[in-house]
Amino acid sequence: MTTVVLPPFWSLVEAHGDELLAHARRLTGEQHAEDVVQDALLRALRAYPRLRHADHLRAWLYRVTTTAAIDAHRARRRELPTDDVPAVPTHDSYDEGAFEALIAPLPDGARTALRLRFVEDLDYEAVADRLDISAAAARQRVSSAVRTLRERLPA
Amino acid sequence: MTPLPDSLLEAVASAAVREGLVDAVFTRLRTPIGRLLVVQGENGIVRVGFEEEPEDHVLAEVAGHLGSRIVASDSELALTRDTLEAYFEGEGDPHALPVDLALVAAPFRRAVLEALHDDILAGQVVTYGALAERAGNPRAYRAAATACARNPIPIVVPCHRVLPSSGGIGRYGGGPERKRALLELEGSLPA
Repeated sequence: MTTVVLPPFWSLVEAHGDELLAHARRLTGEQHAEDVVQDALLRALRAYPRLRHADHLRAWLYRVTTTAAIDAHRARRRELPTDDVPAVPTHDSYDEGAFEALIAPLPDGARTALRLRFVEDLDYEAVADRLDISAAAARQRVSSAVRTLRERLPA
Repeated sequence: MTPLPDSLLEAVASAAVREGLVDAVFTRLRTPIGRLLVVQGENGIVRVGFEEEPEDHVLAEVAGHLGSRIVASDSELALTRDTLEAYFEGEGDPHALPVDLALVAAPFRRAVLEALHDDILAGQVVTYGALAERAGNPRAYRAAATACARNPIPIVVPCHRVLPSSGGIGRYGGGPERKRALLELEGSLPA
């Protein structure tokens, strides 16, 4: 068994923290960026001892930050009050522009699937209905789009 | 790019400590003998670095023994900071702080540093020979000197209180000027 020598975690934070914050701002907007980075760093620390190699740690931190931004976005969608829906949709709970910018590089089909799943917050059955495909195919399309986003970053 | 705010870094470090996610915590302290890097594990302080030692090297050395989940936090090490700050203002003895000699592999060197930490309080001094005797081998004064020269926890494990029997101030890992300053602070600078 080979022993992986990982750098002290805080050396990574001090080297890359500023660019992760900039990355989070691009994904989620100014208002939520610090929360996303805080969550991302804790996730990274939890996973750190399980890393099997010390290569590409910066890219790995970007991916963890992207995932944290997507999860935070989903959580905020869920927190929107469902009763008493305002006539004009309010956008102050998430930044639609940032989400669209995040998914812009993807093909049409992938973007549509992500919007249905994360912006309209539909479950996979409902996404499948709208796209006229099976639920398994809907899940596959969303997860493959999320994977593509993670692999693209850092841009 | 904007650096991460200190408040965010402190929040991450405190949450990580609460969750049991860290192997060690470090803090940077300004003192009259320069900036110190203090690294503490679950069982106590494992490493004190002087400012000319590259931080990455010091932290990597600790990571090699305790693990790589190392975070910085002033608030998590508040007691350590307060104790050291008081010491540099002439109050108390950092001897009260727990230490962990995990970075010292050789048993005799470890025994030397344990004896030094436990027995030689501020205001006292000891010779290398007498220290070797306390550690169980009166003839091993050279090994005692090596143990002091490689002490990973200077100041808290007080190798500055060990003097040559031939007189004078002797050597010090952090340089003789620092040794002199610490002994002067403790009122035990030899004439």
